[in-house]
Formats: sequence, structure tokens, C-alpha cells
Amino acid sequence: MAAAASGAFAARSIPEIRALLTGKQVSAREIAEDAFARIDELDGSVHAFLEVTRDLGLKQADAIDAAIAAGHADELGPLAGVPIGFKDNMNLTGTHTTCASKMLENYVSPYTATCVERALAAGGIPVGKLNMDEFAFGSSTESSAFGPTKNPWDENHVPGGSSGGSAAAVIAGMATVSLGSDTGGSIRQPGSFCGAVAVKPTYGVVSRYGVVAFGSSLDQVGPFARSVEDAALTLNAICGHDARDCTSQPVTTDFTANLNEGVSGMRIGIVPQFMNAEGLSSEVKAKIEAAASKLEGLGANLVEVELPNAQAAMSAYYVLGPCEAFSNLARFDSVRYGYCAPGHKDLGGQYEESRAVGFGPEARRRIMLGSYLLSSGVYDKYYYPAQQVRTLITEDYQRAYEHCDVILAPVAPRTAFKLGEISDPTSMYLTDMFTISINIAGNGGMNVPLGLGADTHLPVGAQLIAPAFKDESMFRAAAALESVFGKAPVAPAFAPTAAAGKEA
Amino acid sequence: MKTLEEVLNDWEAVIGLEIHTELTTLKTKMFCGCKLEFGAEPNTHVCPVCLGLPGALPVPNKAAIQSIVLAGLATNCDIEKHSMFYRKNYMYPDMAKNFQTTQGPVAFCMRGHLDLAVDGKAAGERHGLDSLEPGDAVENIERTDDGYVAHVGITRIHMEEDAGKMIHIGGDEGRIAGATHSLVDYNRAGTPLIELVTEPDLRTPEEARLFMQKLRQIFLALNISDCSMEEGSMRCDGNISLRRRGATKLGVKTELKNLNSFKSLHDGLQYEICRQAQVLEEGGQIYQETRHWDPSQKRTIVMRVKETADDYRLFPEPDLAPYDLTDEFIENVREKLPELPDQKAARYQRDFGLSAYDANHLVEHRFTVGFFESGITEITGITPEQVRAAEKGEAALPKLSKETRKRLEKLAKPLANLTLNDVSAYVNANPDVDLAQSPLTPKRAIELVELLADDVISSKQAKEVFQAVLDEDKDPNAIVEERGMKQVSDTGALEAVVDEVLAAHPDKVEQYRGGKTGLLGFFVGQCMKATRGQGNPKLLNQLIAKKLG
Repeated sequence: MAAAASGAFAARSIPEIRALLTGKQVSAREIAEDAFARIDELDGSVHAFLEVTRDLGLKQADAIDAAIAAGHADELGPLAGVPIGFKDNMNLTGTHTTCASKMLENYVSPYTATCVERALAAGGIPVGKLNMDEFAFGSSTESSAFGPTKNPWDENHVPGGSSGGSAAAVIAGMATVSLGSDTGGSIRQPGSFCGAVAVKPTYGVVSRYGVVAFGSSLDQVGPFARSVEDAALTLNAICGHDARDCTSQPVTTDFTANLNEGVSGMRIGIVPQFMNAEGLSSEVKAKIEAAASKLEGLGANLVEVELPNAQAAMSAYYVLGPCEAFSNLARFDSVRYGYCAPGHKDLGGQYEESRAVGFGPEARRRIMLGSYLLSSGVYDKYYYPAQQVRTLITEDYQRAYEHCDVILAPVAPRTAFKLGEISDPTSMYLTDMFTISINIAGNGGMNVPLGLGADTHLPVGAQLIAPAFKDESMFRAAAALESVFGKAPVAPAFAPTAAAGKEA
Repeated sequence: MKTLEEVLNDWEAVIGLEIHTELTTLKTKMFCGCKLEFGAEPNTHVCPVCLGLPGALPVPNKAAIQSIVLAGLATNCDIEKHSMFYRKNYMYPDMAKNFQTTQGPVAFCMRGHLDLAVDGKAAGERHGLDSLEPGDAVENIERTDDGYVAHVGITRIHMEEDAGKMIHIGGDEGRIAGATHSLVDYNRAGTPLIELVTEPDLRTPEEARLFMQKLRQIFLALNISDCSMEEGSMRCDGNISLRRRGATKLGVKTELKNLNSFKSLHDGLQYEICRQAQVLEEGGQIYQETRHWDPSQKRTIVMRVKETADDYRLFPEPDLAPYDLTDEFIENVREKLPELPDQKAARYQRDFGLSAYDANHLVEHRFTVGFFESGITEITGITPEQVRAAEKGEAALPKLSKETRKRLEKLAKPLANLTLNDVSAYVNANPDVDLAQSPLTPKRAIELVELLADDVISSKQAKEVFQAVLDEDKDPNAIVEERGMKQVSDTGALEAVVDEVLAAHPDKVEQYRGGKTGLLGFFVGQCMKATRGQGNPKLLNQLIAKKLG
């Protein structure tokens, strides 16, 4: 155990792991065992994992070692030997895929999601399935039916959500990278709260096949990492067209290609209405302004751009999201799989009680909302205008990108709040005020850690927003910010040396 | 209850049809790669997509879109280049996702029509036909010599997926109410289905039946479905309302289900029209409801009362981008359009001199078309493919020699008769038979009709030869030879027989000469008897008439 902890490979970067592996200084098996040892040791307090996939991980590690032993080290995939975790809404054959819901507590996947399949085909070692808000409805991971995840920086605080487990696992060094999904900010906001590089690519860059749908037109899969390069390498491995998802696009971009290019001459858009938004905390605002001036110092030009309709994004989102969720969640009816309330003699009664008990309060709220919004007479008043708003916001972004290459904005108005601090749904929804318009428009956005806030001493992140299918431009600016603010560290309490101390 | 005729004197029936057709000739389902197969072991053709497992996504089957565009082109629809899939949300265990993927306000095919030729007995149901002269046009019909042509509008044809199949155990009549448990087979879930909706342009049960029959012929010609009403791959619901003759406002309609044969379609509608008339005439009210036609009881029963319209919460399917059809795609599909039944019937009349009646009935079934056309090929040496290519202007047809033209003229009509009578009866009695594999080859069929056309054998003998060919797998000539069936057409030999018969019946001869000319048949019959059926009846007729004249 001591030897494993001293390795702490899951707390290292992808290039480091690759060098160790191809230099035969360490085997994939050692990396995997070390990662599982760290999870056993550290996850008790964080609760990032809903299932640890030890058997699958070790099997994958052995296959990599066998390939190296057979002299195929140069054919290893880009994620070979990299401990990777998956949000629990991603199917992986033989694992539970619960979406952190009682409804799917006993559901075992009979097939594997394309993004997971590609990560594994690239050599990633699956370490487990990660906690989330139930069905991805939330911004704190507190709505998980299996208990909340804690923020590795301060366990009294939430990790953000809905992909809270994916952010916390990476920042606690229990996984090198992880995958999450983002419907209104669910990758970027926990990335910001936990201090991880967290990428929501343009809608269509990554296949959604096998990822349990929340809002089909808004959902997008992306990576969490502790460096911009690791995030880019992971996205490289999972992106591209998938014949099983007809909304996926033939993206063949190498997202690492321009990481060293710098930002000289790049036009960085600043949105005044975001910077002056009510509720934006002063420590976050100060960090974003610092980031802007650093980029300017590196040769970028700052330009102000307007997104006049962005303030309507929240309203549109809470029409479109629940409508799609209502329909997507209809399949959880207790008949073929999932929670089934016992003892009912008629179908209606079984449906009603199974769904009343199987779904948590936020899931029920969104289903009710969607069911109402789509009903006849109401649909025309909400759904149709929301789609019109969607067009307007998309056009806003298109106009803004006539003047800039990438937009710099806050991710969340504040740093991680305390567990239980926000109980009012509307206040919770407002934590996504800077991220939602990007899902509405469909383009890519990512969180880049900027260090800790002056007041709360918790991570603050900047959001870089790229034009549709030009995600590489936000990676380029992100690498520049990283060169100034430093790579995202493992949270101090989980840093390998500290962990070793904890164990002792 | 009044008869249909009585009711239609006072009331106008307004009928619209909704016809679902499974695209059974496709290899795979609508949104996944699962195999389409009727009657397979339950739940063997399923996958995450058609089982609606969490995370699964639909991918549209391009071949199915081709099929619906074919259906649209063949029914004179406008093909919409920009249409979308929608989700129709309702919960039922046969629909694994609890929503059905279907289409919204804009379907792939919009605004089509079919013209129905209604004649003979079928035309009798239409009210007020007697006051019209051929060529007169009223409302959506035009009077013809022996009936009328009805122009029936098609609102739309949209694409959707079928649900699974449920079997309820322990309840009444297989209904879910009272069942102790229910079984679901998802093999059918996700089967590509096209739904055609007509305008309320139909006025009689016969028109509805003929519309369905015509549509079925077209879909069979397109080879997009096996169109089996028995197995449910083609299903029809009817919407019926009545209004007083002369009224313009539509009455309250009922929806009629279980019209799963042409007979049920006709009889169910007829019953429902009469039932509604009775209710209305007794001062009652028609409720908007779904009714079930029970063919054994010959009545319709209420399934479900619709107090308000169902709220299916229809919205655009976000997992499927709007479906854009290119001009090129549509033109490629148009290229694939086969000759449609109406075109075929017109060609049979034009090229082979057949009557409209024969031509229309020949194109009703694939086997009659196949048998007739292979016989024609046997005569002319020209294949249906060559005909098709010539119509498309790809290649000119080979010119027929004068001799072949004469032979075609002589044999086409008896070939059509053989097909419509003996062959149809044989196939109807042996539904599983494959004519192409039977002893009745095109060559033998032509040999047989030629024997008949040349008066070598009588039509009665032809029937015997037809059966013998099938039973003994021999050529018609050989059978005729073996059985000594050749007709006696030797005038000298027949004259002797005629003389004998006339001499044997002097009283009848007297009566004939006295004006009872109907006795001619008697004399012919006696002569046939004397020749043991081998005398040429035509020749005998002439001889007897001459001798008595």
C-alpha cells in the first residue's frame, strides 16, 4: 500500500504516465492498483464514486501490459494506462448506471456508451462510475440519491454539479481524467468549484450514444483534467462522428495542436453585461479581470462584445430542458427495468407510485414542468418562443465572433457554496447564469482554473467560450492562462505527500 | 335498423380513412439495425434502441424514407423536402420509450390523391347517380358509362414506428382490464410504419373498400410492404359522420377500428352508418368515441369515449435533426417507380386489346400480372423489363413481326381469361403455390390457349387440360393427343351427325320451324352428345342453323 501511494499515478499527468509506461518504469497494472488503492483510501470522505470498476480496470491494465510485453509499446493508445472515471449517466457494460437515482439503483448496463468505448479503446483504465445530481438535475451533486459528493478543497462545500463526482475524483487525484456531461453548465461549474480544467465541447463534437439523456438538444460530453493538455488529449480520444448518434459531427481536430501558440494577436471578447451582472462576487470578478489583463499582457487584444439576448437564456433553458427531460425520462416506468413499487394490480397505480418513489424531488419537478409546458394550449406560449429565443442567442454569438476569437467570462458567480446552503431551486438555477446560454447556442465552453479566490480561498475559474466547432481556439487561450496561473493542482488534502501522511 | 340504401337517401355519410402500412420488405427497423421478421421467437430482434434503454439514440433508416417517398410519388403527393420527426408522448408498455417517434405538421408526403373507378354493383351505393349523364361532374365525382370516378384527396403520408405487441392473460377477450398479467414482444417495436390519412372525401362503404384495395395494389406494386391485412401489416381505421342531405356542417364523428379485411371495412362502415342514422333519427346524439367492429356479432361496440382530444404533447424529436431531402434523392426514388396498376391496365387495353374490366382485374394481384405477362413474353419474346426500359425512353422495343402481332391479337384475350378464371381459382384454392415453380409454364399456358383459340378443343375440354397439365406435368398437346380430345371440325363428319340428330327428333324440328328457335341449343347438345363432346360446337351451330333454315 505504501509503495502504491508513493506512486500516486492518478495524480500525475497523461504525458508523465505515458513516459513511465513506455520507459517500462512502471506497469499498467501498478498504475491501476495504485489508483484503486487511492480510491479505497480517499473516497470515503469525498464520495465521488458510486461504483469502483476494479475488475474492468485491472483487466484493461493487463491487456496494456501484454501489448507492451509483446513489443507493441509504440501502438499504445493516447490514453494508455491513464486512470479515467465516468459520470454515472454513461453506460459501461456490466457496471451499474444509476444516474444517481433510486429509479436505476439496480440497473446494470447491457451496452457501452460511445464516449466510454472510445476512451477505453484509447487505453484508458476505467476506475469507476462517478456521482452526480440525480439524472443531472442540479448544480451541487446534493440531489444524488446516494448522498452528496464533497469538494476536495473543503469538505463542507459542494463540488458543484451535476458532474460533481467527475470534478472531485480528478481534483482528489483519484483519477487522472474523467468524463462528465454538461446540459446547462454541469461540466464547467463543478470544474470551477473544484479547480479543474473542464470542457464542454460544441454540441456534436462528442457522441451522446449511451449517455442517459437529460436534454437531448443541450447535452454534451466532455473531459475533466488537471491540465489543458490532458483535457485536449482526452477530447481527442473521444470526439468525432458516431454512426449511432446522428447529431454527432465528423470532427477530426487535434485539440493539442495550438496549445503552445500563445495568444498574441488573438481577440478576446469581454461581455460587459456578464462582468456587471448582479450576484457576481467580487473575488470572482477580480480573478476574471486579472485573467483578462494577463491575456492582454501576452499580446491578446481585449474587445467588448454584446450578447443582448443572453439574459433570456435562463428562461429558454427552463422551458426546453424540462420539456426534453419529461420525454426522455418517460421510459423509466418500472415495467422493463428500474424501480418498481410492489403490490400494484393495475398499470396506472404501478406507474404512479414507482415514479413517485423512484424519482427524487428535482426530477419530479422537472418532469411535471415539462409535462405542463408541452401540453396543448401551453406549448405555443412557451416552447415555441423558447426556440425563437434560442435562434436569437445563437445569432448573438455569431455576431460577437465577428469581433473576437474567443470570449472570456465567469463560469459561476461565486465559489463553491456550503452543503445545504442553497435549498431554493431558483437560487440553485442561478448558479448557471453564465453557462446556460452556451448550451442554448450549442458552441463550446470550458473552465480554466485561476487559483483561489481572495475571500473564500476556494477555486475560481474563468470560462472561455469558442465559436461553434472552433473549440481549439478556447484550448489555445486556456493554455496561455494556464501558463500564467499554473496547472490545476490536486487539492492539498489529497496531494500525494499529504495522502501518504493521512495514511500514516 | 334501416338499410344502407334507405339511410343514404336521407343522409350523407362522410368517411375518411387512416391506413397504417408496415414496410415489411425492408431488412431492418426504422431507427436501429434490428432485423424485421414476422413470427420470430419473441424478443429476439431487439437492441438498446428499440428497447428504449437509457442512453440509446435513434438513427433513421434511409431505405424507409425511400419507401415513403415512393408511396408519396405513387399517390400524387407533394414530397416535402424539409420535414421533421416529432415525439408523440404517451405511456403504454408496448412503447418502450413511452413516446412514439412520428412526424409533425409537415410530413414527408402531403396533398396527394387517387382517382377511384367505381362501377357495377359498387356504384349502386352512391346516392343520386341516376340523375347524372356520363361526363357529368358533381362534387368529387364524374359519371362514367357504368359508374363513376371519385377523386379522393390524401391529406398526408407520414413516417412513424410501430409499437411492440402485447398479449394480456386472464382478462376478458384478451383485454388488459382484468388481466392477471401481460406479455410484451418487442420484435415489432420500431418497425417502419407509414400512415396515410385521406380527406373526408369518401361517401360509401364501397368507395372506402375500393380505396383500400387500390392503395394495397399500389403498395404491392411498389414492393414496400407485403400488405397483409390478416397479419396486420396493413391496417385501416375509419372516421364516419353523418349529415342530412344538403347540409354542409359536419356531424360528430366516430372512429372505427378492427376493419382488418376488405369485407370488414365495408360491413363495419355500413353498420356504423346505419347505427348513427338510427340514433340521430330517434333524436339521440352521436358521441366522439372509438368503436370496435365485431364481425362475428356484426355490430360496433364502444371502446373508448373521447371527451377531450388526446394530449400527446407532440414536440420536435431533438435526437433527429430536421430531415432534408435533396432533389437528387427524390429524382433517384422517382427513377425506381415501377409501372403502377392504373398504368399497367391502360397498357393492357391499348397494346393487347383487353376490355377495361379484364385489364383492371388482371392488375389486382401480383400473381395475375406475373402469369399474364410471362405468357405475353412467351408470345412476343419481349420481357416486362424491356417494356419498362422502353417507357423510360432508354431503349426502343424490338419490332414484332406481322405473324407475331396476329398471334398476340388472337391469344391475349384467351390468356387473360385463363389467368382470371382457371389460374385465379387454382391460386385461391392453393394460396401457398408458386406459379413460377408449377408445371404450368408460360410455354404450356400459351399452347393451351392456342388450342382453345384455334377451336381444337372446347372451353370445357380446356379446363380438363388445365388440370391435367398441373396433375401430370405434361404438355397440353400431349394431353389432348393422349385423351383423343381433338374437336371434330370436319364438316362432312359433323353433317352426318346433324342429319342423324334431326331425323331422331322430328317433333322438335317442327317446333323450331314454327318459331321456337331457342331449340337450337338442344340440337347442338344432342350433337355434342353423339360426338362424345368432341364436335366443334361453333361449327355444329352453323350446320344446324343452315339445315333448319
